[in-house]
Amino acid sequence: MAYDKVLLKRVGTPNSVSIDTYKADGGYQGLAAALKMQPGELVDLVKGANLRGRGGAGFPAGVKWSFLPPDREVTYLCINADESEPPTFSNRVLMEEDPHQVIEGVIIAGYATRTTTAYIYMRGEFTEQYHVMQKAVDEAYAAGYLGENIQGSGWSMNLYVHRGAGAYVCGEETGLIESLEGKRGWPRIKPPFPAVEGAFRKPTVVNNIETVACLPHILSRGMDWWKSVGPEHSLGPKLFCISGAVNRPGCYEAPCTITMRDLIYDDAFGGGMRDGKKCKAVFPGGLSMGVLRGDTFPQRPAGSKIDLSEDHDELDCILDFEDIKQYGMLGLGTAAAVVVPEDVDIRDVLVNTCRFYAHESCGQCTQCREGTGWMYSIAKRIRAGAGRSVDLDLIEELTNNMGMMPGMSICGLPDGAAWPIRTLVQKFRAEFESYIAQQHAGSVEETIRRVNPAAYELPILGGRQMAPAT
Amino acid sequence: MPKITIDGKTVECRENIPVLRAALEAGFEVPHYCYHPGLSVVASCRLCLMQMKMPHPKTKELDWAPKLFPSCQTPVKDGMEVKFDSQLVHNNTNHVMEYYLINHPLDCPVCDKAGECYLQDYTEDYGPATSRMVEEKNKNPKKDIGSQTLLYQDRCVLCTRCVRFTQEVAGTSELTVINRGNRGEIDVFPGEPLENPLQANVVDICPVGALLDKNFLFQQRVWLLKPTKSVSPADARGSTVYIDVNDDRVWRIRPRFNEKVNEWWISDESRFSWQHVHSPDRLNIPMIREESALRPTRWPVVQEQIRAQLNTVASDGGSRVAIVLSPMMSCEEAWLLASFVRQSAPQATFVIGYVPVEGTDQTFPKGFVISAEKCPNRRGVETVIEQAGGPSASWDEFLTKAGGGEYRFALVTGGYPKAWIDSTLADTLRKIETVVLHDVWASALDDHLWLQLPSATWVEREGSFMNADGLVQPFDRALKPLDGVVGDGQFYYELAGHQGLFRSRKVRELMAAELPTFGEVFVPREEPEYAH
Ligand SMILES: Cc1cc2nc3c(=O)[nH]c(=O)nc-3n(C[C@H](O)[C@H](O)[C@H](O)COP(=O)(O)O)c2cc1C
Ligand code: SF4
Ligand code: SF4
Ligand code: FES
Repeated sequence: MAYDKVLLKRVGTPNSVSIDTYKADGGYQGLAAALKMQPGELVDLVKGANLRGRGGAGFPAGVKWSFLPPDREVTYLCINADESEPPTFSNRVLMEEDPHQVIEGVIIAGYATRTTTAYIYMRGEFTEQYHVMQKAVDEAYAAGYLGENIQGSGWSMNLYVHRGAGAYVCGEETGLIESLEGKRGWPRIKPPFPAVEGAFRKPTVVNNIETVACLPHILSRGMDWWKSVGPEHSLGPKLFCISGAVNRPGCYEAPCTITMRDLIYDDAFGGGMRDGKKCKAVFPGGLSMGVLRGDTFPQRPAGSKIDLSEDHDELDCILDFEDIKQYGMLGLGTAAAVVVPEDVDIRDVLVNTCRFYAHESCGQCTQCREGTGWMYSIAKRIRAGAGRSVDLDLIEELTNNMGMMPGMSICGLPDGAAWPIRTLVQKFRAEFESYIAQQHAGSVEETIRRVNPAAYELPILGGRQMAPAT
Repeated sequence: MPKITIDGKTVECRENIPVLRAALEAGFEVPHYCYHPGLSVVASCRLCLMQMKMPHPKTKELDWAPKLFPSCQTPVKDGMEVKFDSQLVHNNTNHVMEYYLINHPLDCPVCDKAGECYLQDYTEDYGPATSRMVEEKNKNPKKDIGSQTLLYQDRCVLCTRCVRFTQEVAGTSELTVINRGNRGEIDVFPGEPLENPLQANVVDICPVGALLDKNFLFQQRVWLLKPTKSVSPADARGSTVYIDVNDDRVWRIRPRFNEKVNEWWISDESRFSWQHVHSPDRLNIPMIREESALRPTRWPVVQEQIRAQLNTVASDGGSRVAIVLSPMMSCEEAWLLASFVRQSAPQATFVIGYVPVEGTDQTFPKGFVISAEKCPNRRGVETVIEQAGGPSASWDEFLTKAGGGEYRFALVTGGYPKAWIDSTLADTLRKIETVVLHDVWASALDDHLWLQLPSATWVEREGSFMNADGLVQPFDRALKPLDGVVGDGQFYYELAGHQGLFRSRKVRELMAAELPTFGEVFVPREEPEYAH
């Protein structure tokens, strides 16, 4: 597939992190073009480009900016580099290898939103990346791209690189804001939305690193180029991560026309399955968007709107913001795929998935706090050989009753928990059932008696509901 | 006033309140934990969710939105339509109640909160009858977090009411949440226990038995307690309270909502202001000096003696008679005593008794005040003295004159929560030939007293106090007086020549003829059940 890399173009080139090489490669020209425009024009331009947020939700950046109240006095811009979604590392590549591209994007976004203070909020584990970014920021200050009267435009903006303490939920935009303010990273209730009342109770925009990294290119290469890349609803270059049992794990760039199969098997991307194994499952958009069947399976995928013939896999899914939903996925997410090979026990996948969300739920909302923890306990029991068919139904029921979309939580974390867990249980139900069928008789009772004797011994709870194991 | 429709019933509600509050005030039952009208809204328990009619994003037609909304976070808007009685809502409530119990120890039989626990009540009303959780429960620790409170973390539902209370009302921020997810716990910071003058309020607002009052721990089952509406005597604010009594004993004092004074809170001083009531040191027999010793007498004898004595010493109108009216007295008691004395001794001096003051007023972030004046009724007694006319004196003036030997007879009332007459004061009062002391405690003056009369505490009396802002608030009697003691009101009622039972309301009607202020007392709004 002939595609000229844009975002990753300079990755791997000598001294790609320095401002000199960046400028020599044509850097900071997008900014120069931007500064010739009025901020309002810039917002309209980005709206017209339909640049969809790369942080997970795919919300158009220009539209988000236009929610800022016109008569505001202060605006904060928070660049989300928390990147805590499992298998995701594209922001990290950008920051490590081409920090000035990011900074130029931040400055353009800052100018468009009339920001005077911007923050890059990095996850706590980013140590090296922090130093690379900070050095680049210092260079940008020295070159007059940051600070007072930027490039003679009369507009000033400061940029701070801030490190969090390492929590998935601090990537949620209001969790990020709380954490940035020095508080516990508990997502806020909305309304008010950050555009109206965000950081320090002032209008605030939160954008992902990759989202802003697209901005210099829209300006320097022009709208025609931009609109020529990818389908209309998912315009522009996109970074895809692939990891797991493939030959060439890594971060790749492609337009949103690529299919999951290409990403795994194309030599320019994943380069095929490692050790010639078969693909069993793949989480296409980070963990939180759901799972695709990588092997054939004799039933129509639950929740899938695609009419597949029997005995088909789901790898023809196109990785754009819309098509993926046809397969029962929540969305494109972070476009970071993790590939599960045939010899992995699906119960392990379930345990691992549940553990992540149980570990990361911030604990404010009951359904999320207790639901994720409960599902993790159930998954562990199934893994220990004491599962029941009703457990699978129960897990499905729980996933249907959590999340922001049905209104049951403050933030989207439990939606992100519900989708992969539900699709796992639905799409791999036959495999779970076969494990359950192979359990030795009495294992359920033994296990429950051991971990929670009360469940059997108290007459009010015992026997009636849980025995006999099915 | 906005009109909203809840479950098909249109109700009028106050402006700018959340739908949850409006529903509760209109008599709907809506389960909720994190919402408390006195604290900020966090909408995190997700128990109060409702359905709401919204314009369809495409057709703009008004219809039930497919998702649920937290009613505690949604302000009322004229014309809005919501419902709580729906399959979707019940389904959510049912799930949430199941969640709350998966890690709860179910130790209600030994839990102080049992009987007034929102987890018990909601589970009975909305929860599933059995749990589907068969795994091991999380076991959280029990913690000693402050001088008045214990935290049984395993019972906590993480509503964060207590955390918000310390941040917003007390302004001291001792409590916080540690850890994440279902490992979350409430805790204090190392070396910084929960210590503030309002700390025990967290026990009341904790919807479950996680936060416990050390003084009340394992003392009583709450359904045995009988609440009486009263007013705190701890300071001049006049916080309204409930006194909870069983077996002729006070077990605890709780705040009673008062929109004008203390809202949902009371100070710890008020909460523990009953502890002297059951002191074994209290006086309980009226005594009269016979020859050199005080000997027991009977109340009717006391009355005759006082009348006779007053007639003698006040033959000149009473210019050498002083009557000390303590700011611990109720308005009614002060008025009865004052009007009785004015009849027989128009020239007697009325003195406002000793007013204990500690430091300065303490004001908390949301406006709660602890007054420096540690007595409930200085203003009420002053008002009575002023209206009675004739000579009056401040406490200091009285002491100067007494020290100079100007008085032959004094009737001194006390009623303070602890003994208050030290030897210096006793020496001054000794300069008065005949002293009657109506008080709770024995004192250094006992060897000089002519009459020593045991007084009842406010728990055993009824009447009204006028607080520092001039608000007259009635309080009821929670206990009968200690054996041998006659209620102060009853005593002065009979002394003033009335017959029958002393009832404060009847007396206020008499007072109102001269003092319209006392014609109308302030009774706070009743909060709906489950309002917080
Ligand atoms: C639990 C949770 C975690 C998130 N983590 C991240 C993250 O690590 N990085 C990120 O850019 N966005 C993350 N998001 C999405 C942000 O809330 C927000 O939508 C995004 O930063 C907006 O940027 P964009 O519009 O440029 O995509 C997360 C959302 C949720 C609900
Ligand atoms: S949904 Fe979960 S992670 Fe999000 S705020 Fe609520 S408890 Fe925290
Ligand atoms: S201790 Fe009580 S008030 Fe505090 S969070 Fe837990 S349940 Fe709520
Ligand atoms: S979410 Fe409304 S009361 Fe807790």
